Amino acid sequence: MLSPQPATRPSAGAGDAQPVDLAPPRHVPSRPRPAFGKRARKASRVGAARRPRILMTTEGTYPHAVGGVSSWCDLVIGGLPEFDWQILPIMAGDRRVAAIFELPPHASLVGQIELWSDRLPRRRWFVRPDHRGRESLPANLVRALIGWEGSYDALLDALLWCRRRPDAVRRAFRGARAWGAFLSALEDVLAEHHPDAGSSPKLDAVEAARLYQTLYWIARAAGIPTPKTDLLHVTAAGWAVIPALVHKQLHGTDMLLTEHGVYVREAYLAAARSPSSQGERFLSSRLARGLSRAAYVAADHVAPVTEANAAWERGLGVDPSKIRVVQNGIDAPASYTDPPGNLKVVSVGRIDPLKDVQTMLRVAVEVARRVPGARFEYWGPPTKGQETYARACEELARRLDAEEVFRFMGRTDDPNGVVRDADVVLMTSISEGLPMSILEAMAQARPVVATAVGGVPEVLRGCGIVPPPGDVHALATGVAMLLRNPQLAARLGRRGFARVHRLYTRTACLGGYRDLLGQLTSAGMAA
Amino acid sequence: MESPGHTYATGVIEARLGRGAQDVLEAAVVLEAWGGVRANAALSLGSRVVPPKPPSWRPGRLNAEEGDRRDGILTEAIALIMAILAVASWAGPLSRQIGTSVLEQAILIALPLTLALQWALRSRYLSRRSGLTCLAHDRLALCAICLLGIEAPLVLLLNPYGPLAGMFVAIWVGGTVMARRGWALPYGFLLVGAVLGLGAGVSAYRLLEGLTAVILISVVIAVRTGGGRSDEPAGRVGRALSAGAIGLALGGLLVGDPSLGWGVHGAFPALALLPSVLGSFWGGYYLWRFYDVIPRGLRGVTLDQANERDVRGPAMEIFLGSILRLLGTTVVLSAVVILIGQWTSGTNRLSLFVGFGCVALLTMLVSLLESLAYVRSALFAAVAAVAVELTMSQLLVANDPVPGAALIAGSVVGIVLALPPLIRLLLRPGRVLATSLWIQ
Repeated sequence: MLSPQPATRPSAGAGDAQPVDLAPPRHVPSRPRPAFGKRARKASRVGAARRPRILMTTEGTYPHAVGGVSSWCDLVIGGLPEFDWQILPIMAGDRRVAAIFELPPHASLVGQIELWSDRLPRRRWFVRPDHRGRESLPANLVRALIGWEGSYDALLDALLWCRRRPDAVRRAFRGARAWGAFLSALEDVLAEHHPDAGSSPKLDAVEAARLYQTLYWIARAAGIPTPKTDLLHVTAAGWAVIPALVHKQLHGTDMLLTEHGVYVREAYLAAARSPSSQGERFLSSRLARGLSRAAYVAADHVAPVTEANAAWERGLGVDPSKIRVVQNGIDAPASYTDPPGNLKVVSVGRIDPLKDVQTMLRVAVEVARRVPGARFEYWGPPTKGQETYARACEELARRLDAEEVFRFMGRTDDPNGVVRDADVVLMTSISEGLPMSILEAMAQARPVVATAVGGVPEVLRGCGIVPPPGDVHALATGVAMLLRNPQLAARLGRRGFARVHRLYTRTACLGGYRDLLGQLTSAGMAA
Repeated sequence: MESPGHTYATGVIEARLGRGAQDVLEAAVVLEAWGGVRANAALSLGSRVVPPKPPSWRPGRLNAEEGDRRDGILTEAIALIMAILAVASWAGPLSRQIGTSVLEQAILIALPLTLALQWALRSRYLSRRSGLTCLAHDRLALCAICLLGIEAPLVLLLNPYGPLAGMFVAIWVGGTVMARRGWALPYGFLLVGAVLGLGAGVSAYRLLEGLTAVILISVVIAVRTGGGRSDEPAGRVGRALSAGAIGLALGGLLVGDPSLGWGVHGAFPALALLPSVLGSFWGGYYLWRFYDVIPRGLRGVTLDQANERDVRGPAMEIFLGSILRLLGTTVVLSAVVILIGQWTSGTNRLSLFVGFGCVALLTMLVSLLESLAYVRSALFAAVAAVAVELTMSQLLVANDPVPGAALIAGSVVGIVLALPPLIRLLLRPGRVLATSLWIQ
């Protein structure tokens, strides 16, 4: 998620207990028709002449940030050189960022969408300005994205307006009438009644202005041009879907959505745990829901990385026939070593509220009480924008008098080495998809204690301990049991090693995507 | 009647959130994350536990980042005061050594260029939290632009006053950068040292060359040591150029009226400028709270009031407060300078103080417009002011005008042009925040 200076704007949102109406909207072109005659010959010639192109949109991840999604992008792009990858990252533009991942020769950056930056779209001096609909743009966006049953068609119309007049977006939002119309529309949205929506909180002028600013950046993101492509690959059902929505509407290109976590779920979790006002929580989660709803409607195919995510997506109204799970995979070593027996417990990941580091601290204290000599190491930096949370964790470590037992180690360039040097790997997240850090631990034959969230129970079946999230006692019991019983720990580690080789290899993961992307790009090239 | 599942779900949600769920999704997410309920069941259960009424309303608070404000104007004001005092003190010895007309021409060129560079640097770099780091990032391009675009033409094409103007520009703009680094006091000592040197009869050119070299080296050190690591990007080039153009116009306004006699009347015009600069300093410093005060003032304002006119709203309050500080300080200090005129090179002509006061007010209005990204309005007001001033100067030149009459006329026109768009905007604080402060 993007975490810029004035308010983190997670995205993605979707759904309710009753599946929402996801019937294909009026404006979405239907799947390409089968090609006949001249059209088929042309398609065949074109297909023979060039390689399939995939436009991948990312949000605050690849190639500018480390993390699970970035590692996954790197693996898929690097492992599938038969496609030409066009990367369009969306990132916070209030800071300079350098690419962390080096793109392979068959991948290229085709632009970047900078949010909260000073930059303006290039002015089109010789195009006659068309101001129709300008004043209603923010109002239309707030109805479509914040309303409980916002219209997908209206959202597309608004985003297309922005694509056609990118240099008019700023003017549209700076107008007095647009602000007035936006406020009226927002009041209408707050007055909506729906049994699943609960009652909307009151908002104040500052919260409204924040939302107005966020919608401005959504409009700006929609205005960024996208190159010709054969398939749109959206890596999160949030901001990353905005350019893809517009492209799909303009060119009818198929869209594949890969969700690593469930975007709307993580946005709601972040909002629920944040100290923000009711109004800010309401707006950030509703916006996430609005973007996710749009992503789910527009996506022709949804490829979650774990069955647990697929369950959420079905619950949020995605047509089950669109969903195809493609699990993550890693390069696992051919052999393993047994745990060193040093009573060291390691966790690798960003310091983030979703990782529930504070529960881990309490687990560490509890384990140290039961197993003298046990030490905990947390490897990984704070997520951008979560520095306050990181400081709160360090403060909690001091208050719990856990500094001797638990150490924050910072970033590591050798996660496998860190894991190899541990007796147990621990993860206390409250939200996960299919975490690479667990696969890496299993590949090193280390036993894992991890909370039962997302795809974790599925991955660790028979080779780890899976207590409920936030259950300090159960987590501590699991860790202590493994530290005291090295034979059990080694046996679970070996089982994990075998399971990774059987189900979660890089080859299997890439094979799944090769098949899926091959099918989808062939259809795109034929069209 | 509530089922056990309902009771459990409500209990988990209230235990975790300390309140009821906002909607079905929040209920489901909490139940899955902390209640051990699977996704489908959580979604189904969630729809039954959404409370019908929201909790009582409490407006949010602003975090520290929102309250953050920039301090560039303070340091810039200090540097500007130093520069003015230096001009005032150097005027006599310099005009004796190098000639009045050379000094006058040099000031006429250097003042607008200095203001243009200061405005541009402030827009792109110095008004940012990591301004010096941003500046360091562009150092090579900036050096090339300054050397080839400003200093070289001055030195090569405009002899004999060009080199002197080039040194003035380097000294004054360098002072702005040093002040931003927090080195205003060392900068002041350097200027005072130069005054002592001139008084002792050291060659003016040699002294100014030495001073320029020392300040440029200090600037290099300030930029290299001032930033640390930051990934904040610099401002837009286009906006910096526009800001530079506004600065140029305001500088032109200061030197466009020949009756002021820059370099001709010794320290006189520079000292007359001092009250309004101090007034600008205080007014501008107060105005800088704009970014902090408006969101704070709008906390708790309901949506139906968010687009209402409010003469006593936070925007108008801070705007009028700034103007009162500027005008009050200028009037009081001007009176003081006039009263002690016999000790300040005879600086006692009321019209000059009025003129510089008007320029200060215009500068504040234009600066506010520019900072709210109404660049065209700001530029228009500044350019119109210069145009009127130059026209009036031509018309009045044969009639032995009151000193500063053209300056007053130009500034008043600029003020009249800048005020309406500002007032129209500031009357609606909600609109200012949403459409101008947070969307630039």
